[in-house]
Amino acid sequence: MAGVSRRDLLRGGAGLALGAGGLAGCQLNSGVQADAGDTRKPFAKKIDGDLAYFNWAEFINPDLIKGFEKKYGVKVRESNFDSMPAMMSKLRAGIEYDLIFPTAEFAQRLIRGNQLRVIDRDKLRAAENVFSAFDQPWYDRNSAHTTPYTMYATGIGYRADKIDSMTGSWRDLVNPDADGRSFMLDDFQEGIGMANLVNGYELNSVDPEELDRSKDFLVDLKPDLRGFSSDTTTNMTSGNAWIQHLWNGDVVNIRNQVDNPEDFKFQKCDEGIPVGSDTLAIPVNAKHPGTALMFIDYVLEPENAAANVEWIGYPMPYRGGAEEAFAGLVKDDPTIAVTVNDLDNGQQFENLEGAGRKAWDRIWTQVKVA
Amino acid sequence: MSEQRFASRFLLPGAVWLLLFFLVPLGILLAISFGTTDDLGNSLYGWHPSNYADAFDPLFAPVLLRSVGYAFATVVLCLVIGYPIAYYIARFGGRRKNALIALVVLPFFVNYLVRTYAWVAILGDEGVFNGAANTNIRFLNTPYAVVGGLVYGYLAFMILPIYAALDRMDPALIEAGKDLYGSRWNTFRHVTFPHTFQGVLAGGVLVFLPAVGDFVSAQLLGGPDEYMVGNLIQQQFFAAENWPFGAALTTLMMGFLLIFMVMYLRSAAKASREATA
Amino acid sequence: MSTVAEAPAAVTPERAATRPPKDFDRPRFLRLFAWLFYLVMFAPIALVVLFSFNSTRSLQKFDGFSFRWYERFFESESLHSSLQASIEIALVTMVVATALGTLLAYGLVRARTRWSGAANILMLVPLVTPEIVAGVSALLLFTQIGLNLSLTTIMLGHITFSISYVTVVVRGRLASLGPEVENAALDLGATRWQTFRLVTLPELWPAVLAAGLLVFALSFDDFVMSFFTTGESPQPLPVRIWSAIRFGVTPTINAIGSFMLAISLVTVGLALLLPRLLGRKESAVGVLLGREGA
Repeated sequence: MAGVSRRDLLRGGAGLALGAGGLAGCQLNSGVQADAGDTRKPFAKKIDGDLAYFNWAEFINPDLIKGFEKKYGVKVRESNFDSMPAMMSKLRAGIEYDLIFPTAEFAQRLIRGNQLRVIDRDKLRAAENVFSAFDQPWYDRNSAHTTPYTMYATGIGYRADKIDSMTGSWRDLVNPDADGRSFMLDDFQEGIGMANLVNGYELNSVDPEELDRSKDFLVDLKPDLRGFSSDTTTNMTSGNAWIQHLWNGDVVNIRNQVDNPEDFKFQKCDEGIPVGSDTLAIPVNAKHPGTALMFIDYVLEPENAAANVEWIGYPMPYRGGAEEAFAGLVKDDPTIAVTVNDLDNGQQFENLEGAGRKAWDRIWTQVKVA
Repeated sequence: MSEQRFASRFLLPGAVWLLLFFLVPLGILLAISFGTTDDLGNSLYGWHPSNYADAFDPLFAPVLLRSVGYAFATVVLCLVIGYPIAYYIARFGGRRKNALIALVVLPFFVNYLVRTYAWVAILGDEGVFNGAANTNIRFLNTPYAVVGGLVYGYLAFMILPIYAALDRMDPALIEAGKDLYGSRWNTFRHVTFPHTFQGVLAGGVLVFLPAVGDFVSAQLLGGPDEYMVGNLIQQQFFAAENWPFGAALTTLMMGFLLIFMVMYLRSAAKASREATA
Repeated sequence: MSTVAEAPAAVTPERAATRPPKDFDRPRFLRLFAWLFYLVMFAPIALVVLFSFNSTRSLQKFDGFSFRWYERFFESESLHSSLQASIEIALVTMVVATALGTLLAYGLVRARTRWSGAANILMLVPLVTPEIVAGVSALLLFTQIGLNLSLTTIMLGHITFSISYVTVVVRGRLASLGPEVENAALDLGATRWQTFRLVTLPELWPAVLAAGLLVFALSFDDFVMSFFTTGESPQPLPVRIWSAIRFGVTPTINAIGSFMLAISLVTVGLALLLPRLLGRKESAVGVLLGREGA
């Protein structure tokens, strides 16, 4: 094998530098360039091809997919993301999805960037079932681009059979009776937001002093935390977690998987309840928006929505079917429910931009490495 | 046509491919590391060496040290476990040598995530082990679990090169060594180990370098204090959507690892020169 | 010293392999250690396979035998297309990477040019590059040149990190084949190209095959690079597993994992048996490990 000399290294390094230098000054492809006009291009509500579907994994009843495919004779091509930023990076790479499921604050961001198509709500037959609270959601004026999919609230899941000293506060995350078996969500929004609430600040505060104190709160929490983990279901069902920062729907799913569901409870905390919603939306570069619109309508139909609720374990904000289905799921523990009241009174995550976003990222990194 | 010219043409396709699809992307990564992000989180080129200044933040030092520490511990453990296994198969495997080596590699072919989650099920507080042994040991979310996960993931990379070196070694050398040195330990020290040193070195490199940048093990098996540089980089590319900063961290990490790689290459080249002398 | 080592080597390996170890060697402790080792290595695998046949969703208790999770897997069209995609990608990667890697190995061993050193480094760097780096930079390249993400981009990414594995494996074998036979062929009037095709390549065949199958298995199981370079649909199987596994390991995931293990088993089995079936005396494992280190 030929020897490796300093000359070879220099040659390699020069090549690398040349490559880098040659590209400087170019714009990195920052996704789909579109203006407001593109988003308003009309399209017919009819099947115009297969559906390129992009959602969290395991977040829709597979029967709905099969039913839609059979009813309309099209294929649903499913792709998954595991986080909002992952979804964004795929969208930014220019991939053409027909139907995506952004959370409310990401929907706002996409709308601001002219990345979502305007939907003619009159074309949706079942849209009248949607709770009127979503006629003018804060993230999408006139609900012009999105349809709500699920509602969720963040709280603490806990083992009622192991801990009986829950105080109703977010500080229960490190309740000493949990014997160190506490997990927090590995999510910068949920983490910093929760710290803000505990300190009495606004959920979305970007005030540097307030953020600093929230950071300190989180860092102080760390020694008593077993881990940062969004594998909420696994942690609780395996018994590794007696306390877990999680979303209400997770509790429903956890209960389905264990022998003693009554021991798994959900606590909505006094300092504040972050609430949010997932939405259905059609990207501006969708190839088959017609099929996407038909799929949205399909999901909204009462029987389908009810079946979906029972499968994913999260409430969907529609009357007639979905509402009752979820009530049925949580009838022995109504605290798990999220009502429109919670939406009005609770605080929702906003889409942070610019300096505020950078501040939150910086704080979270500092918490993680401390 | 001389052998030189004939053979050097063969270099072209592979080298060109690697140049285009590996080196150029690394160049872009380097370029991005000097960029910044706009308000919507899109990456822009520019000249912001501040990314590197930020990367040298003393806050990150423990994370890097920890990663190197874990990787080093992983190498040591892989060596301590792997060498005897390689030795056993090479010297005592007999006709079943090939099957035994294949069995070493086989677990590696089950999806990494599925395997790691299986360990969570086994080592969980109410998992298989604690259930069967009726104990209450907290294995998970500790540095031991993370290093354990790393060892499990990379052990095969240590065993294979050592096995290859041992297998090629003439057993008569060991016999001669025993006659010369008397004890097993001395034979090992003066004959076996030196002969297999290049294999050990290769294994060490193949384990150490990827282990430093690993993020799955720490994410699934670690607690808040087991945060590694791989997690940090992953966080910048995803949660923080700060590609330029992530790229800067990556460049630094790679530069750091390249030093080790060059050291290895020089040692291997020297050994190969000596062997054919 | 090298000659002393080589001469007896031609004579003793067979004998050494079948000769019982002397008392002095006492492998009892080693054998125990080896058993323990295999037990620990396969414990999670056994769990995965076992619970993929569980009749309930539980991953703690085995409640009975059932195929239902495999049924769910086989019924799901979307998981199907992911499986198909993974196989397609692995096949193409295998063919292209093996071809490029073999050529590269030949060039590195037989040619001694000024560029050999640089080519050597270039070839080794992907091996030691953390996957997240390779993935991100590949994604950057594709978005920069405006290439749409698709199965093709995944293949491009996989081929790139696979070439090095092939080169290392083939090179080891090639280095141990002295140039004597090739020189003999040349003396007999063959052109260099004929020599390569009719003499060198057949001798290399077990290594090429072994490397190819190794590449297939690596590509089929790859998650990190695939995650970054995957397009709209279908996503390769490991990417689906990663997205799904965050919401709890379902037995379906274990079923998928077991199924992928079965496929990998077949490819590894082929790697072990095929050269023997084709009449070669050495097995591919011996060849896989070559004469040099990594």
